[in-house]
Amino acid sequence: MIREWTSFFVAVFSLIYIYELSLFASGAKDSALALMRNPGIIAFNVLALLFTLYHAFTWFYLIGKVQPIKMGKTTSKPWQALLVNIALLLIISYAVIQILVLR
Amino acid sequence: MPKVARLHAILWGVFSLGGFIAAFLLPVSIYLVGIAYPLGLWPMAGGDPTSAILNHHHIGTLFLFVTVAGSLYHGIFRFQSTLTELGLAPAKRALEAIGYMIIIVGILVVAYSLLLLNPGVLSLP
Repeated sequence: MIREWTSFFVAVFSLIYIYELSLFASGAKDSALALMRNPGIIAFNVLALLFTLYHAFTWFYLIGKVQPIKMGKTTSKPWQALLVNIALLLIISYAVIQILVLR
Repeated sequence: MPKVARLHAILWGVFSLGGFIAAFLLPVSIYLVGIAYPLGLWPMAGGDPTSAILNHHHIGTLFLFVTVAGSLYHGIFRFQSTLTELGLAPAKRALEAIGYMIIIVGILVVAYSLLLLNPGVLSLP
């Protein structure tokens, strides 16, 4: 059931960020940034990150369960898909930070 | 395949794609926008992440659109079906209607906002 509730945090964070983007677009950049500095919003974001990571890990495990890969006589296990996808998640996150934020 | 079944398959396909987006792109977005920026953690010392991402024009705009729209679709789609599993099954139609309305309005708002912030996004590179 926890897995289902991760969708609540995914949806609400998306809605908050859409509102922030609309404030940016209407020229109210200071209001948008003040919204993200609100302690309640920060606390929600910490929870949202935890639930989103839970969503990601269970999703990766599910991929390995639903679509195991056959290599010769052996078939991949769900935990192997989990590990590969966690590594991929770290690489993608680092690439996003390097390409879109630090460069 | 009947039309309704085909539409159903497409909606679940988009939901699955949104699941990948929420799994791979949303955690870093939440960290940058919602935690690193307000708390001044690495790599957000000073500037805000949304402006930094939008400074990369097309790729930054595309990243924001795909991440926010995909996550919104996935989150709302799953949440409304969770509510029906929690005993709100009689209100399934109404929940679906509200859910799709939020998804459509949300995607239109994010697309319009990004278009205003980067008007050149529709022009060819």
